[in-house]
Amino acid sequence: MTANFPGPVPTVDLGAEPSTAEKRMTRARLSRRRLYLRRFLRSKGAVAGLVILGLLVLFALLGGEFTPYSYSDVDFAGLTAPPSPDHILGTDSAGNDTFAQAVHGLQRSLVIAVSVSALTTVISAFVGAVAAYLGGTTEKVVLGIVHFLLVVPSFLILALVSQKAGGDWRVLIVVLTVFGWMYNARVVWALATSLREREYVLAARFMGVGRVRIVLRHLIPNIGSLLVVTFTIGVVATVQGETALSFIGFGVQPPDVSLGTMLNDGADTVSSAPWLFYVPAVLVTLLTVSMALIGDGLRDALDPTSRSGGGA
Amino acid sequence: MTPAAEADPVLSVRDLEVSFPSEAGRVHAVRGVGFDLYPGRTLGIVGESGSGKSVTSMAVMGLLPDYAAVRGSVTLGTRELLGLDDRQMSEIRGRELGMVFQDPLAALTPIFTVGRQVVEALQIHQDLDRNAAWKRAVELLDLVGIPNAAARARSFPHEFSGGMRQRVVIAMAIANGPRVLVADEPTTALDVTVQAQILDVLQLARAETGAALILITHDLGVVAGTADDVLVMYAGRPVERAPVGELFARPRMPYTIGLLGAVPRVDSAERRPLLPITGNPPLLVDLPAGCPFEPRCPISVAECAVEEPVLTPVSPDGEHAAACIRAGHIADGRVDGAAIYPVPRAPVAPAAAIPRERRPAVLELDGVSKTFPLLKGTLLKRRVGSVYAISGVGFDIREGETLGLVGESGCGKTTTLLEVMNLRAPEQGSIRVTGVDVSDLADRRQERALRRKLQMVFQDPMGALDPRLTIFDILAEPLRAVGEANRETIGRRVDELMELVGLDPEHSDRFPTAFSGGQRQRIGIARALATNPSLVVLDEPVSALDVSIQAGIINLLNDLKAELGLSYLFVAHDLAVVRHISDRVAVMYLGRIVEIGTVDEVFDDPRHPYSHALLSAIPVTDPQVERTRERVVLRGDLPSPTDSSPGCRFVSRCPLHPALDATQRARCVAETPELTGAGGSDHLNACHFR
Amino acid sequence: MIVVATNLTYFLASLFLDPRANYLQLRPPRSPEEIDRSLAQYNLSPATPLLDRWWHWISDIVLHWNWGYSPVGVSVNTQIAFRIGVSAQLVLLSMILSTVLGIALGVYTAGRQYRFADRFHQALSIITINVPTVVASLVVVLLAIMLNQSLGTTLLFVAGAQSPTVSGFWPLVLDRIRHLVLPTVALTLISYAGYHLLQRSLLLDTINSDYVRTARAKGLTRKEAIRRHGLRTSLIPVATSVAFAVPALFTGAVITETIFGWQGMGQYFTSTISNNDINGVVAVAAFGALMTAIGAILADIAVVVLDPRVRMAGS
Repeated sequence: MTANFPGPVPTVDLGAEPSTAEKRMTRARLSRRRLYLRRFLRSKGAVAGLVILGLLVLFALLGGEFTPYSYSDVDFAGLTAPPSPDHILGTDSAGNDTFAQAVHGLQRSLVIAVSVSALTTVISAFVGAVAAYLGGTTEKVVLGIVHFLLVVPSFLILALVSQKAGGDWRVLIVVLTVFGWMYNARVVWALATSLREREYVLAARFMGVGRVRIVLRHLIPNIGSLLVVTFTIGVVATVQGETALSFIGFGVQPPDVSLGTMLNDGADTVSSAPWLFYVPAVLVTLLTVSMALIGDGLRDALDPTSRSGGGA
Repeated sequence: MTPAAEADPVLSVRDLEVSFPSEAGRVHAVRGVGFDLYPGRTLGIVGESGSGKSVTSMAVMGLLPDYAAVRGSVTLGTRELLGLDDRQMSEIRGRELGMVFQDPLAALTPIFTVGRQVVEALQIHQDLDRNAAWKRAVELLDLVGIPNAAARARSFPHEFSGGMRQRVVIAMAIANGPRVLVADEPTTALDVTVQAQILDVLQLARAETGAALILITHDLGVVAGTADDVLVMYAGRPVERAPVGELFARPRMPYTIGLLGAVPRVDSAERRPLLPITGNPPLLVDLPAGCPFEPRCPISVAECAVEEPVLTPVSPDGEHAAACIRAGHIADGRVDGAAIYPVPRAPVAPAAAIPRERRPAVLELDGVSKTFPLLKGTLLKRRVGSVYAISGVGFDIREGETLGLVGESGCGKTTTLLEVMNLRAPEQGSIRVTGVDVSDLADRRQERALRRKLQMVFQDPMGALDPRLTIFDILAEPLRAVGEANRETIGRRVDELMELVGLDPEHSDRFPTAFSGGQRQRIGIARALATNPSLVVLDEPVSALDVSIQAGIINLLNDLKAELGLSYLFVAHDLAVVRHISDRVAVMYLGRIVEIGTVDEVFDDPRHPYSHALLSAIPVTDPQVERTRERVVLRGDLPSPTDSSPGCRFVSRCPLHPALDATQRARCVAETPELTGAGGSDHLNACHFR
Repeated sequence: MIVVATNLTYFLASLFLDPRANYLQLRPPRSPEEIDRSLAQYNLSPATPLLDRWWHWISDIVLHWNWGYSPVGVSVNTQIAFRIGVSAQLVLLSMILSTVLGIALGVYTAGRQYRFADRFHQALSIITINVPTVVASLVVVLLAIMLNQSLGTTLLFVAGAQSPTVSGFWPLVLDRIRHLVLPTVALTLISYAGYHLLQRSLLLDTINSDYVRTARAKGLTRKEAIRRHGLRTSLIPVATSVAFAVPALFTGAVITETIFGWQGMGQYFTSTISNNDINGVVAVAAFGALMTAIGAILADIAVVVLDPRVRMAGS
């Protein structure tokens, strides 16, 4: 049905004299980038997500300036104290300042999520694209590994390994990455397989362009928008995974603090000291939802077939 | 003879306007369409993509999406259709209005049997019990020419070919005897021999129901053969309306004249250059005042840009109307006696002076075969046999020569071409490019050296250019691939190439999306010429383009061939284009060449029954010729090429076969015919009896 | 695949978990020899070479279907048998609920694309799908506590699968339901949104497809055409994704079971790891892999049932 309805096709009439053609060209090209931006900004959710994320990042970076306490400081005078001018968000049962902990926990969770997501995106992009382009045995072997790793109960192995590591967040990053790239690699592979059949890839091959060059120059740039979206969704998934792991005691472990461990503390005292639950719960929810909104907005903005313009 | 006097129009459209919201602003897709449709008559609506012809039909059917704004009036009999809600429209759709769509592969629900889908069409509007509806459905399927309809009704759509599915769609459209049939590009997605069948079925269906038919198409040949009246649309507006004979004989609007001049004729050996219309259709957003065709019109005057002309009668009986302020000056395709479209200079190829046998061969194929494994089973695929995609294909192309490779989808022309482009030794036979046997290529360096000589232009001008690269990088890629690293040399060559194909070198830093389809195809051609090849392989290079643009590309290809002494391997399904551009032509059927010879020999005197049928299926853009000539309509569809047993592969559809005697028929089945020619002629065909 | 994955887990678990830890805190303290002796009877002693333990372990499974014992001698078989039942109640119910709810919402909102109801539910789904399970479950708990407080009586239990003191058939059923409501709500809450968004986008694709247009051209209204022609086609991928979600649900119920104090598979998973219960961990892994396989088979069956194209190719 789509094909029957005209959309905006930026075309240039080369019959016109160069100067006007030139002007129209520049406009057509600028509007391409602006188009993405405009489409992104039109989505209210995405803008809201971006604002929230910006505030969260600011909070994680600069939040420490607003409190005299560090996350590991213990105030024996106020154990499980409700919010007060002294401790704006109260303290936990060990006397740690909740605000300071929240700042640190958010930092920790953000760093883990962003690094894991970045690493898995890069790995999955490369593995997926190479497998798709080379095809044959390479493809079979890579897909075999991917499918095997998908069957392996990775959550369990994650828990095993990170528990052994004593909750070191760097180890957690490595483990989450090792067991996190397969699914995306499969998605990238599927997309790259369809790109492989595109005429411009065929054209490059018939011109005698080398294989690695085709992957780097034609395949990866053209799955770029997918990768951007994968990255944002990956952040959400990692935050979820990290909080879940830390919550059941296998992720980040005390004395280190992440949003997951804070949730774990807060869960026990949901009715007696609810602020200990509210603070991390609100932060983690804001973080995942804002990232998801941004991801959605990006997908719509970058997807050339998206018809969000038509009905909105 | 005014039809209006005979009866009242069954459908009247007045001042129809449709617009859609879009990124760039409101798109005014249809801007004031009006026509009357009389019972039993066929109205052809012709136009290029984006002219608003399909949107018009959707508006009539009430199938536009909610966000489309529709104004004007559509009356069926005495009932106004615009403004009816979905429920009220659904009472009319299917009962009074039937519709046939462009893509038969997607038009049927994949999970229901075709019988069930026809039954549904019946039961929505008629109070029939299951058995009666089923019986009627089978009758309908039989009527539209589904063989063995009672059994086939229980099959799912994916078990039917495209042509058969289109028949099913037609059966559904006429199930309730509608007063109006709307067919939106009903044959565009089909092969030409199947197109001929479907057009016949449509006429049959129309006759059977007594309905009026709206036939929407971009193909002037189809209109010439089937329509009674024609409406030409441009930029969302009708620009000319006339009875079919009148329109083709005495067009009055420069756009119509341009369209007719841009189409190559399959029945003409004359090799004059086509008359392209320059420029591109306008965007239907914020159209400037004045005639929308004015920027492309060769005879526009200052007045044209002032106000948009409306359709005004130009013949005494008022049947012929054109929207052009200069229509009064136009007669016989000329304005005030001078040609409207200047005839381009005909290129003369230097190679043509040397006889063919004395020119070196740039491509030689001998007995090339390619099989694909035939797999069975869902989980564990095992090979149960082979599909012969091509078998025993052999031909040669001499320097400065164009060989057209024609045939319907699945005949193996694309496989042949890919075999050539792969530069690998074929399963059987040999391929030699500029005298070098590809099985002798030892390493990548030698392969690259040979690739310099051999380049390709693709069908889809969108898909063949990487959207993330600038035109400069796209044109530089083949140069870099053959080892050219000097930036300056590359830059100079890119500028040269841009000029060669008629583009402004200044624009080489733009991305492909900034160009129109025709311009992108020029870029594709420029890329193929970058390494100064001897042979360019062209895979359907103009089939994705509108006729007015197509003509420019064909002329460009002809000019380049003469200027650079190129040889082309030209693959296309449009035989008129092939006739226009080729020196020699090879007809393929199910993986084999059935006839080969010079283009005039094959087109004027086809020997093989398949070539004969194929050529006769092509509609000619002349209503008189089209309606009087004798046509051979093939039965059935292309069978699948799994069978490698001996015998002629055309036997199942051959019109000659039933006329033969028993021993002759046995020979067709038992013995694979070889390509042979009479005497020493190189016009060869693979039929035992021709 | 299942066998390989399970054996791999066995070696990993043996490497990473140290069952001796369970005995170290015991009073009076035991000597290392005593601990080894206790562990040896459960085939867990680190003193025995790993390969010997593995051989012993695998032959017990193959010959006696005995998955071993925890470091303190609890039979894995007994535990699993009991816990699968507990988890199944929870998981199956919420799976059915979330599928039905998700598909219904998807169909409802797809028909109202870009209108208020669509935007509202989409926003809601984006939030619920992205809220971490922990938060969602705890919010449910908080709400339930508030509800109970406002009613002045414990209508819905926030912990456990059943009360130990109830007897009689109907009271027992009622008691079960009162325990079941909250965790089911929590699990449904986190999983329905995925189906909703998937069903919505698939249905929108089919709504714009040519064959739905053909159906409308035959004289069906938009709604009828979508229901008769669009829905079943669009159900195929949803059914696949539901089937594939089965294993994820069983292990994904970890958090829910922990929070609501259900002794199910998910909770078993955490307790086996914290208790260095190698055999238990491996059994959980095997169960997970088995569920994945079952999910894949279910997905295939669903596709075959719904899609005639595949049915033809298969036969």
